[in-house]
Amino acid sequence: MAAESVGRRDFLKVAAVGATALAGLRMVRGTDASEPTGSSPHQWAMVIDQSKCTGCGQCTLSCRAHNDVPPDISWNRVIEMDDEVGDKKVYVSRPCMHCEHAPCVEVCPVKASYYRPDGIVMMNYDRCIGCRYCEIACPYGGRAFNWKAFTEPNPAVPRWGHPEVPRRPRGVVEKCSFCYQRIDRGLALGLTPGVDDIATPACVVACPTGARVFGDLNDPESEVSRILDATPHYRMREDLGTNPRVYYLPARDEVES
Amino acid sequence: MSVLNRRISIAPVYIWIGFLGLLILVGIFGAAIVFSQGLVVTNLTDLVPWGLWITIDLSAIAMSAGAFLLCAAVYLLGLKQFQPVAKTATFIGLIGYSMAVMTLLLDIGRPDRFWHAVVFWNPHSVLWEVTMCVTLYLTVLVLETTPILGNASWFKSRWPKLSSHMSGLHRYAPYLAVVGLALSMLHQSSLGATYGVLKSRPIWYRPDLSVLFMISAMAGGISLTVLITMVVGRLSSKVKVNDHILERLSFFIGWVLVGYLYFRFWDAFSMTYTYQPGKTEGLSLLTKGPLAFNFWVGEILLGAVIPIVLLLVPRFRKNTTARMIALFFVVGGVVAYRWDVNLAGQLVLLTYLPQEISAIYTLYKPSLIEFAVGVGVIAYGAMAITLGARYLNIVDHSKVHEEVLETEPEPGLAGTD
Repeated sequence: MAAESVGRRDFLKVAAVGATALAGLRMVRGTDASEPTGSSPHQWAMVIDQSKCTGCGQCTLSCRAHNDVPPDISWNRVIEMDDEVGDKKVYVSRPCMHCEHAPCVEVCPVKASYYRPDGIVMMNYDRCIGCRYCEIACPYGGRAFNWKAFTEPNPAVPRWGHPEVPRRPRGVVEKCSFCYQRIDRGLALGLTPGVDDIATPACVVACPTGARVFGDLNDPESEVSRILDATPHYRMREDLGTNPRVYYLPARDEVES
Repeated sequence: MSVLNRRISIAPVYIWIGFLGLLILVGIFGAAIVFSQGLVVTNLTDLVPWGLWITIDLSAIAMSAGAFLLCAAVYLLGLKQFQPVAKTATFIGLIGYSMAVMTLLLDIGRPDRFWHAVVFWNPHSVLWEVTMCVTLYLTVLVLETTPILGNASWFKSRWPKLSSHMSGLHRYAPYLAVVGLALSMLHQSSLGATYGVLKSRPIWYRPDLSVLFMISAMAGGISLTVLITMVVGRLSSKVKVNDHILERLSFFIGWVLVGYLYFRFWDAFSMTYTYQPGKTEGLSLLTKGPLAFNFWVGEILLGAVIPIVLLLVPRFRKNTTARMIALFFVVGGVVAYRWDVNLAGQLVLLTYLPQEISAIYTLYKPSLIEFAVGVGVIAYGAMAITLGARYLNIVDHSKVHEEVLETEPEPGLAGTD
């Protein structure tokens, strides 16, 4: 029988080849970034006050400029709602929700989407194969695919500045990163994200009405913690159990901005 | 080697091969455009990111299911009489899987990174598991089909030593059958689960999808194998086909379809009671929306009900033309099912806006390039099977085990002996 014809020597050969292959695999794979969520001292979150949002779109524009997002993609969408509160239009501004249980991270076949320890759902654009499974899995439409190469100058980028992150290549999925580059650099400089502008996501800084607040949920003194303690809030599609890190304060009639 | 000079007039075969070659060229041309310009040339969008090519991929995999089923029947259940059909099925499986790999390479945004799933593991992702299954099972299929090439007489006479090595692989067939059974079953059902685990598209979110993908693949895979065998048997006077074993397999397919329809009924019926936003809309897309014709006529009537009658009533089953029509319908029904599953979840999606969790309808119609490339991939499959039948004897029942010839099939003894 075939099984008996495999001698000990053959077995050792196969084992040696297998072990070498496995070691090689380890080397290529390197370290996987997905440390358990919560192992960082910080847990970033965003609060968006719909009473203050006027739908001006500065958040989206600044996002494009800082992250070099092409014109046909929005990491942050501003959607006009059908209903009004008082006589004011209501808007929903939608960045990536940075879910605690993110469907995109769960389904990505190559771990190109992963959790940072501080709760940010990150994309590894060098690893993404462009299968678009995450795009289908995201209940919030937070992801966009690069259907074509973006080679033109970005109209959203002003002449006096330049984007903070590299442009994504054709064929990968991209999304909002909570401006991780600003957070990381700010922390390295000893600044506090959410307090110091250069350590805070661009959309939060750019919002002319102060509708966006960013901060650390682990810090009870941070503005997000204080707002969430004191004010009624909701998150999108909480029924799905994704636990988004973006909180909304529903539009109220009495608020004057 | 005089396969070329058989009584089937040479012209039609060469016209057929030339025609397929032309379609393959068109496909290659389309693929070149896709690779150079990106997926922008498709009609896919961020709301409907999976389209025609994914349907072809899913269908090609489903049609390959005959390979593991018949190999399991022959080498694990000991139903030796089906061995010649298992050979055909294995070859079809290899071609089907290679078709799937082609469409996937086209469909992913970064085909240069196709190997990432093998290196960067996310065992929690169903799609990772699917990728691993494709890779590993394709390897199994290559090993399983190597003896077919090794046994081809022209190959034997040219490279006798290599040929005997390759034929020697056949003694591992039982082991390969076990591995193939595990990988392929996992793969077929995981393809359903790829959709079934997505909460974002309510019509998909149900465990039944993996079961239904599995059962429909069983019916479709064996149907295509039997159908191709019968077509080859009809067109070539050289090929010997044992209609008795084909008839018994068809009988088995009939019962698989009954089982499939049973599960399908309860799956669909229970959905009419959910009133869950998105799910109800998805179901009505199928039953009375843009997919309704596909669903009622393609999947249910032609894909299941009519073949059940044709394959289970002995009078029809014994009529080879009626049987071939039935098998063709089964194959079409499985393709329609894959198309409908893929689109039902994408044509309707749910808003995430507070207070208005309502359905949004999207549209998808494949672009010309998607069609061209899709047709090219299918033409490649047809070409491979044509050449396989002509030069590799993939259909050859001259050595059917004798025992099968003495027993008449009894109703109720579908696949046992």
